[in-house]
Amino acid sequence: MNKVSVKAGESPMIFIENLQKSFGNLKVLDNINLAVSLGEVVVIIGPSGSGKSTLLRCIKYLEHPESGRIFVEGQPLEPKNRSFRALQQEIGMVFQHFNLFPHMTALENVMEGPITVKKMRREEAEKIAMDLLGKVGLADKRDEYPSRLSGGQKQRVAIARALAMQPKVMLFDEPTSALDPELVGEVLTVMKGLARDGMTMMVVTHEMGFAREVADRVVFMDGGRILEEDVPLNIFKAPRHERTKSFLEKIIA
Amino acid sequence: MDFEYMKNLIPILGLGAVTTVELTILSVFFGTLLGLILALMKISSNILFSRAAGFYIYVMRGTPLLLQLFAIYYGGPSLGINLPPFVAAVLGMSLNSAAYVAEIIRAGIQSIDKGQMEAARALGMTYGQAMRRVILPQAYRRLIPPMGNEFIALLKDSSLVSNIAMVELMRVAQQMYANSFKPIEVFTLAGIYYLLLTSVFTVVFGKMERRFSVYE
Repeated sequence: MNKVSVKAGESPMIFIENLQKSFGNLKVLDNINLAVSLGEVVVIIGPSGSGKSTLLRCIKYLEHPESGRIFVEGQPLEPKNRSFRALQQEIGMVFQHFNLFPHMTALENVMEGPITVKKMRREEAEKIAMDLLGKVGLADKRDEYPSRLSGGQKQRVAIARALAMQPKVMLFDEPTSALDPELVGEVLTVMKGLARDGMTMMVVTHEMGFAREVADRVVFMDGGRILEEDVPLNIFKAPRHERTKSFLEKIIA
Repeated sequence: MDFEYMKNLIPILGLGAVTTVELTILSVFFGTLLGLILALMKISSNILFSRAAGFYIYVMRGTPLLLQLFAIYYGGPSLGINLPPFVAAVLGMSLNSAAYVAEIIRAGIQSIDKGQMEAARALGMTYGQAMRRVILPQAYRRLIPPMGNEFIALLKDSSLVSNIAMVELMRVAQQMYANSFKPIEVFTLAGIYYLLLTSVFTVVFGKMERRFSVYE
């Protein structure tokens, strides 16, 4: 599958226009413009506090943007619009701290969205959930509660849980930052598989290996702005911005 | 101590104890229902709701239960509301307990990591669905110990309704004492009944706590 196959005139999957967000006096997002095409993997890097996570959280409306607009497949994402909930369901999200529901087993976590939100029949939801648990390599953990899973396993269940809603875009907010180093690989493997299957992805991460290998485009953010965006080769080999260069030098010591 | 007299007292005080249990269970039920509503109002982003719930809790916690019972039982008739003692007692205890329960539930809900609400909303759940499916089921378990304390406090406070002509364990004890002038026998036995009842509550809540903690 050709991943950057956007036909001329077709709306991008996600389109962000002049997005602004402040916390008090601090401007966390300063005039963000970004388009993500169908099937594209965009990796967002940058120092902490640069607004990367806030950008993802604004798309998911966990933070309310102050101004600017977000479009999903050309439709404006506005809480007052009727289409808001349907559009939001097109977007799946994976969190740094997994946020699995501790009172549900792995299987129940994955079934929860389809059953409660989509009103799917139990048997059907269970079938989808088992398929997804298989896909992330955890079919044998179906009846375990999250407290009995390792961090890497938790995050893989969380990915399956988000996928169960059959989203068109997946947002990953530092999905491996809370993991022990030896558990990072298993989560990245699942994410690489998703990218190969053509999922549109926005990934905030410090895993530069992943960015280099999987990203179609790398976005560098600093101080709430997008300083540069390019294919990984250019960003890593020949960053145009001084800030990008010094950030990369520090992180790839 | 007149043990013979105490033996005769057992069934008489037992009847009062049954009424005490009825009063407590009904008040706990309605108090928890109203308390849950108040808690959800208090954490709501609607200022009107949260202020109203906050004011209610402030007044009910800041005035004595006895005064509230008097207001309902003796004050009611002058407003044209005549309530039998049992109804007045349950109403007063429920309204009072709701204020405490509301604070327990609010603290329980707010102790749940906010990532849980975010994850639920991210799946597309409405606020109500997220509360019902994700937040409240986790809060229940944490609520059990403080709710146990509240129920035990309510059981003991139910003795106050003896002041509004409600015949329950404390009232029966007072009457028997007035008849016999045997305070040691009467109040010792009443105390044993209260201890038995609170022990039952303690055991039941301990069991519930263990049962709900499977996933931790």
